[in-house]
Amino acid sequence: MKKFFQIVAVCFSGCLILAGCNNGSNSSTVENSGPQRDTVIIKLMAFTPDTLTVNKGDTVVWINQDIVAHDVSHFPDRAWHSDTLNPQNVFVKVIDDSSSYFCSIHPTMRATVLLKK
Amino acid sequence: MRFSAALGVAMFILAGCNSGNNDQAAATADSAQTAATPAPEAAPQQPALNDAQIASIAVTANQIDVDYGKIALDKSKNPEIRKFAETMIKDHSDIIKQATALATKLNVTPETNKTTQDLLDGQTKMNETFKGLTGDAFDKAYAQNEAAYHDAVVNAVKNTLIPNTQNAELKSLIESVVPLLDHHLQMAKDLAAKFK
Repeated sequence: MKKFFQIVAVCFSGCLILAGCNNGSNSSTVENSGPQRDTVIIKLMAFTPDTLTVNKGDTVVWINQDIVAHDVSHFPDRAWHSDTLNPQNVFVKVIDDSSSYFCSIHPTMRATVLLKK
Repeated sequence: MRFSAALGVAMFILAGCNSGNNDQAAATADSAQTAATPAPEAAPQQPALNDAQIASIAVTANQIDVDYGKIALDKSKNPEIRKFAETMIKDHSDIIKQATALATKLNVTPETNKTTQDLLDGQTKMNETFKGLTGDAFDKAYAQNEAAYHDAVVNAVKNTLIPNTQNAELKSLIESVVPLLDHHLQMAKDLAAKFK
């Protein structure tokens, strides 16, 4: 059963990546066509990219490709946060404001999402 | 004395590596003395540790820190110690799962060796030390041991396990653990600094 959910998580993350790619392709032909989708990879104890600039209302997808569990938490007060993300789990959030975030399990892992001005 | 178990990790592993190097050095000296005879075709260098032994060391070293974490959860009431211990248990358990799965996939049976046994002997001594401590004294000892243990393991992984690992997938897994161990080391140092 656990395997099933892992497979679903992987498939879901794959769909999200593909969706992100499609949005990226569309944006090259139709500017400002709507909210975009960006991806942050969690791997080797780091968020990549560590600074992501998006438009208000865009969606960011965090994919845990590391060998251990992480989370994605607003820095410093965890005003918003994901559940614990086991390897291959994803977290999706619509971005309404700039914020720094970190992994509360491994607190030196920090990154930022900025809104375009 | 208190931290001999942790500090011993790198020494045990490096000692295993050095003994291999000494053998190689002796072989080199022997071949120099018989230089007059035609040199035999060079035999491939044998690593100081084989992959089955490295898998055993990796699993054992991770399990020991899981066990230390469980002792901390059992003995400490300090929230920071408990949170750190929970992270160690979760992270090192995850690594063990992946290492075991990879070993199964590669049909490698972890092979107990002198380093593995030395690690377990060190753990037994450390457990005895922990038994006699309570409260802040235990918290301080646990935090300091975690810093020393991770420091030793990081050095051993970088300087001995990775260079000796032959299988590419096993080497990749061990290399991918290094950033996590570096992070644990920093967390442990920060924690230990609070008990000076």
